[in-house]
Amino acid sequence: MDSGLMETFVMGIATEEEVEKVLLLKKQHPEFQDALEQLELDMEALALSMAVPPPIGALEKIENEINEIQLRNKSIQKAPEVDDRFDRAYQERTKQERYIEVESESNQMRINKAWKWVFAAVFILGKVFLATAIYFYLENRQAQEQIKDLKIELKLKTPIK
Amino acid sequence: MFKAVLNVPPAEPKDIRWFYDKYAAMLLGYINGIVKDHQKAEDHLVVILMAFANEFNGEVKDKNYQSTWLQLRQFAQNKLAFASVNSDQPIQKDDQLNLLNDLQKHIFCAIYYQGKSISYLANVLEKEEDEVRNQLKLSIDKMRRARGN
Repeated sequence: MDSGLMETFVMGIATEEEVEKVLLLKKQHPEFQDALEQLELDMEALALSMAVPPPIGALEKIENEINEIQLRNKSIQKAPEVDDRFDRAYQERTKQERYIEVESESNQMRINKAWKWVFAAVFILGKVFLATAIYFYLENRQAQEQIKDLKIELKLKTPIK
Repeated sequence: MFKAVLNVPPAEPKDIRWFYDKYAAMLLGYINGIVKDHQKAEDHLVVILMAFANEFNGEVKDKNYQSTWLQLRQFAQNKLAFASVNSDQPIQKDDQLNLLNDLQKHIFCAIYYQGKSISYLANVLEKEEDEVRNQLKLSIDKMRRARGN
């Protein structure tokens, strides 16, 4: 206790080896622990005797700063959650809007919802082409029959020389 | 963050006001001894108390020390490592330091305010480490005795 070890320890300049020694002595010898605690209290009392009253308003300044930091930390912690939740919901919604699920033999495939209108247009055009083709086919057949009839008529009307 | 900021009922004594009332004046006196400029010391006081509040949540984390003050002082010393003025003696009105002789005052102030090591001071003062350590102990003992401890 008289070696000056406690003093270097409470002054915060003890080496690692000295700190270990102090901690060991504290455990092993209650009187050492008591003396160390007393020294710590005396250092606090010494600091108190050297105290300088802080300026008026310093506490309010500190409280305001701490509250601001607290609020900033809270908003930083909350913001990613909100963003994350929003992103996930948004992605889910856009996924539903933009894609329809189509089953195939092997596995599922996703295609853009815009293709729905293309498929509808192709289907309608297909029907139109089919109807047109049938119409012209019938028209053509009718025309062929008329030509055939006309030819027969002409043959009958033409005098045999 | 301190309990007061977290709106914990005031039954818990360790809120920022309690902490401020107990340590702000001591800390300002200590910072004054380091930076030797009252205005700067006041600015540092706010910054250090806030940093300590944020970092340590008002709890003593260093189990080596029983005293919150010692931890706060160490914290302030580390924060002000680059702000300390390397003059021979800090400006102190305190009578406690006047109890010490020049060598003791030099050693005590270099360690207390600037955190100089025993080996560094032994080298600078061209003395044995044990002699420096002994002078430190003597200076602390003198001030303790003067206070009736």
